[in-house]
Amino acid sequence: MDPLDDPKLSELLKEWQVPGAPRSLDARVLRRDRWWSFLLTGSIRVPVPVGLLIAAMLLVMAVALVRRPAAKQPQSSVNLVEFRPVDDPHVRVIRGQL
Amino acid sequence: MTRAEFNEAYGQHKDVLYRFARRMTGSGEVAEDLVHDCFVLVWRNRATHRPERGTMRSFLIGVTRNLALKRRQRERPFDELEDASAVCAPIDAAGRERGEMVAEAVAALPPLQREALILAEYEEMSLEEIGRATGVELAAVKSRLHRARENLRRMLAPLMQTKGVA
Repeated sequence: MDPLDDPKLSELLKEWQVPGAPRSLDARVLRRDRWWSFLLTGSIRVPVPVGLLIAAMLLVMAVALVRRPAAKQPQSSVNLVEFRPVDDPHVRVIRGQL
Repeated sequence: MTRAEFNEAYGQHKDVLYRFARRMTGSGEVAEDLVHDCFVLVWRNRATHRPERGTMRSFLIGVTRNLALKRRQRERPFDELEDASAVCAPIDAAGRERGEMVAEAVAALPPLQREALILAEYEEMSLEEIGRATGVELAAVKSRLHRARENLRRMLAPLMQTKGVA
């Protein structure tokens, strides 16, 4: 018997039936993501040199931020720039009663 | 490949791929994962797909088959894919369903014999199409199919005798 043509064996093999694809597969394969879902679940691939460059830039910015001198506080000192003495003072001495 | 073409290919071939993967792996869950991964891969590489290279069915079966073999390689790295000298013993037929015994016999075949047999017997693919899907010459397909059927005749001898076939 030609081993490539064996109807009896083929008939016997057909007794093993397997169902088709389950519905859960449709949901997995045909799922269409909302455009904004990328913001929650998406990922991007960054080349290593670009990633290292970004990391170095962030490091430099952080160091610069730490080393920057603190902003000067406004001084509360009094100056006499706009002080104008009275032109014609009339001094009156009031003596208190002892 | 447009989204519409992809959806059409999925609707047309999902059952074939699922049945093939399930018969290859023996697991519905693994088969579902494999078919899912196959279509994800096809969609990601849709720009490089060339329809002139063969039918969509043989292309998709080829992708699913490669994923299944890779998975098997990860799980059982030291097992041979093709063991030409493998001689399978007759299975125990006592009190069992015929379909169950056939499933066990097919699962006992070496993977490359199994895939050739599944595609030829269950999906009724031509030898040339099996060759395209599995990436081997026609002679290799014939050889694998020949050995698979020999092994199955040996394993399923108790069932074939009850049907009056030697």
